[in-house]
Amino acid sequence: MIELHGVSKTVQSGENPLTIVHPLDLEVPRGQLLSIVGPSGSGKSTLLGLIAGLDMPTTGSIVVNGVDITSLNEDGLAEFRGRTVGFVFQFFHLMPSLTAFENILVPLEIIGRSNPHARARSLISEVGLTGRSHHYPSQLSGGEQQRVAIARALANTPAVLLADEPTGNLDSATGRSIIDLLVDVNRRHGTTVVLVTHDNDLAAQTDVTLVMRDGRTEKRQVLPTSSG
Amino acid sequence: MTFVLAMVWRELRATWSRLLFFFLCVAVGVGGIIAIRSLVQNVRIALASEARSLTAGDVYLRSDQPWGEEILDTVLANLAGITDVSVTETVDTVTMARVGADGAAQTKVVEVRAVQDGFPFYGRFVLQSGRDYSSVLLNGRGALVGPEVLTQLGISVGDAILIGNSEFRIRDVIVAEPGRQLGGFSFGPRVLVAYDDLDQTGLLDLAIRAERQVLLKLPEASIDSVVDSLREDLAQTYVNVGSYRRTENRIERHLGRAEDYLSLIGFVILIIGGIGVWSVTRVFVQQRLRSVAVMKCLGATTERILSVYVVQVALLGFSGSLLGAVFAQVGLMSLPDSLVAQAAEATGFGSVSISVTKSAIAQGMVIGIMVSVLFALVPLVDIRNVKPIMLLRSGEKQQLGGFDWLRVTLVGIIAILLVFVASWQADSLKVGGYVVGGLLAVGVVLHFLSRMLVRGLKPIEDARWFPLRHAALNLRRPGNQTRVILLAVGLGSFFIVGIRSVQENLVTAFSLELRDDMPDMFMMDIQEDQVEGVRGILEETSLGQDGNGPVPELLPVLRARVVSVTGPETDIQGREAVRQARLGREYTVTYREHLAANERVIDGRFWDGISARGPEVSIVDDLVERGIQLGDLVTVNVLGREIVAPVTSVRTVDWDDSRAGGFMFVFRPGTFDGAPHSYISFLQGPASREDRGVFQSVVVSRFPNVSVIDGSEVIRNIRRVLEYVAVAITAVGSIAMGVGMLILVGSVAMTKFQRLYESAVFKTLGAKSSGLLVMYVFEYGLLGVIAGIVGSGGALILTWALTREVLEIAWLPVPLTTGMGVVVTAMMVLVVGVISSIDVLRQKPLLTLRAE
Repeated sequence: MIELHGVSKTVQSGENPLTIVHPLDLEVPRGQLLSIVGPSGSGKSTLLGLIAGLDMPTTGSIVVNGVDITSLNEDGLAEFRGRTVGFVFQFFHLMPSLTAFENILVPLEIIGRSNPHARARSLISEVGLTGRSHHYPSQLSGGEQQRVAIARALANTPAVLLADEPTGNLDSATGRSIIDLLVDVNRRHGTTVVLVTHDNDLAAQTDVTLVMRDGRTEKRQVLPTSSG
Repeated sequence: MTFVLAMVWRELRATWSRLLFFFLCVAVGVGGIIAIRSLVQNVRIALASEARSLTAGDVYLRSDQPWGEEILDTVLANLAGITDVSVTETVDTVTMARVGADGAAQTKVVEVRAVQDGFPFYGRFVLQSGRDYSSVLLNGRGALVGPEVLTQLGISVGDAILIGNSEFRIRDVIVAEPGRQLGGFSFGPRVLVAYDDLDQTGLLDLAIRAERQVLLKLPEASIDSVVDSLREDLAQTYVNVGSYRRTENRIERHLGRAEDYLSLIGFVILIIGGIGVWSVTRVFVQQRLRSVAVMKCLGATTERILSVYVVQVALLGFSGSLLGAVFAQVGLMSLPDSLVAQAAEATGFGSVSISVTKSAIAQGMVIGIMVSVLFALVPLVDIRNVKPIMLLRSGEKQQLGGFDWLRVTLVGIIAILLVFVASWQADSLKVGGYVVGGLLAVGVVLHFLSRMLVRGLKPIEDARWFPLRHAALNLRRPGNQTRVILLAVGLGSFFIVGIRSVQENLVTAFSLELRDDMPDMFMMDIQEDQVEGVRGILEETSLGQDGNGPVPELLPVLRARVVSVTGPETDIQGREAVRQARLGREYTVTYREHLAANERVIDGRFWDGISARGPEVSIVDDLVERGIQLGDLVTVNVLGREIVAPVTSVRTVDWDDSRAGGFMFVFRPGTFDGAPHSYISFLQGPASREDRGVFQSVVVSRFPNVSVIDGSEVIRNIRRVLEYVAVAITAVGSIAMGVGMLILVGSVAMTKFQRLYESAVFKTLGAKSSGLLVMYVFEYGLLGVIAGIVGSGGALILTWALTREVLEIAWLPVPLTTGMGVVVTAMMVLVVGVISSIDVLRQKPLLTLRAE
């Protein structure tokens, strides 16, 4: 499902080059729930951004759902994300000028999906926010905003769901409900999920945990598959 | 498409209040264009419905010489066979009207029109009494006069005036008259008398200037053929033949040009509005970076996101333009009725409708939307460079606006399109290019001037006093609107101060012409047998220079027309060639033995007085540009006699020194022996207004045909015209300044979020609201002073260039106007800026910090 071959990322830091991700190979099979953990600055989010096609690797190739995304241009990448990838951010990144319902509607409208309103209604009910659908992000709590963000990420039934510290900005109780939601998505829909987290509880529930330090993968811990 | 339209609606719903200034900027500019165009178009519509009343007949023949038998026969021959023909004649002349006893008489230069019974064929007189005009009113030496005749001579209806030596009784006052030349220069108010009565005054027998006119009323179908055949038959005479259609076309052309040029003023205001649009969009894009990144992350291509914002801008431009049309209608409706009536009267129409026209609205809307989209596109293309990866890096703000080839190309395309729009508005590519080029040059100068001044604030950034230091820092903060505000407000102030300064320079220059040794009165139509008498009056009244100087010279003049100019390299022959060489008008020529004090020979040799080589002519240097060269033979027609004279010298004339007047052609004495000619004189009249009146009355009482024109009155008129022009341009400058202020308020509103955060941090760190208020006072005070210096500095450069290069008058700095420009601009920016920031001071810091 996701294949990385010799992928690295180097940026210019002042006068000197700085390697954020050292060359690595990674394979994530379809339907796997993978967590990436590690201290701040270890390159976790950068790696996630590379898989989502939000950034280009300095070296190597990335194939997602059979598409070599390193050969796509900006617009090609945007269309790829619209159809294949759902993304959940630590800071939610809902569009402040749109209601919760409209935020979920946007990706459906972008790819031109038929009957988007019915799909958006079903998703908002799935995340338990039917009564809040006409509220603006500023009128929702952090947990509610993250639920809307997850519904938005799932709108186009993506093959891959990527989440960058989805519980990092939430209290522990709310965080737990978000973890349950993500695990549920993976288990019920068979969606491949890659998430970056500091949250050990969350990492403990994933199939595989990749530990990163200073841009290198240090340890790959495979957990027994949950019987669900 | 669903996505684009849905997003446009959602974005507009959420941000319309922040973009309010966007469409206000567009509305003011579009309103200007629509109002100005509509006003002129209404006059054109009125013209179309009253075209015949402008000439008072279908066909006219005009000549400045008496009709000869031959010409009248030609006219009659051309009318043979046409039924329903009516003919009437008029004569116009400038002369003096007077009342009272000799010596104590009041005098006034007037334009006399003598008419026959049939006049006018079209149009109607409006008389103050309200009764209908009839030629019976003129019977028995009756006269109808313009209102100024009564006020300036202190008389009323029923009193008598003297014209020549004939007495005319005033029967009524003319409010509006048909057959008047639109926009022509007028020496004085109208006096209408019967044709035969003017004949009896004897004025027309003297060598004074008079225009004779024959008006014809014909069946519509024969107008063109009669005009064509008359023109052909009278080609070799100086008779001017035309129809009401030609007049209509000429005035139509002038009005068309006026409409185009005036619309450019609206266009310039709209460009300043465009700067506002650009500024608002720039901040808007910066505030939308995260939303753009989210849309990209969700799969939207750059093209679709750009479409969302371009459609949004176009819709705002459309709404702004609609609002502009409403502004224009309200503006036109709020014009005082008296002003509308005055304008209608001045243009010769009974009534001019005051409402916006469809074509003006259409043009205003197209330009409004175009300028909105063009100016917004430059900041909008930055959307291309937004990277969705920014969403993963919390707190990171992507900085946009570095060098970008697409943006540079876009600016180039916009400049070309603006030249196109300006050319369309002015109906001239050249004028369009000049306007856009000029604006660009002014913009660049103001931009660099403001950059320099803002840089000059650096030392203040080290000030120890917190409010002052942070005020200076705020002005140089990256991403703030300092440069845009300076450009917009500076442009407004530049227009107002610049025009005021030019006006003051012009008035000063005219005043200088009235300095002690300069003539300020002008006598004309002095006949040969009156020379001694007039000279006697001049001696008796000691009107020499400085009161005791030599008696002013009486200069002999004749009226001549150029028939041909021939020479080795010159061949101007026939009426058409002469007209094309711009030599077709009637020239006032003179002869004398010597050069005048204000003349200098630049080529050839001026004759000595005793030469007996026959006629010679000296031409002014301007004529060389029209094709006459030294050595050419000039043939002129003087009262039917053709005189051939070689050009033996070329002179340059200092037109500012008008003691000896200025003549395009000066002939050697002896050339016109035997030809009847009149005399003119430039003199310095008595100092007081009363004495000048007495002098005029003494001359006119003894020599009624002589016109004594008071130059100071003419200069007063010029000053009044200049004041009107200055008021009009100041109004335009004020609108420009208003748009500048809108941009200022808009910029403050758009950057409020940044200010809210900063003020919350300052308050958390212990700053009081009063301290922050002082900081804002300093910030906007400094900004205002710089904007004022930019505007007034630019205006100084403009005044210097205009006075020296275009108006060719001496440049004088006007420190009071320049200083006031700086002070008033600074105060306006200070007050508007601080008032717009007050709600920032009221906000509780915790609310703001939580929101961040």
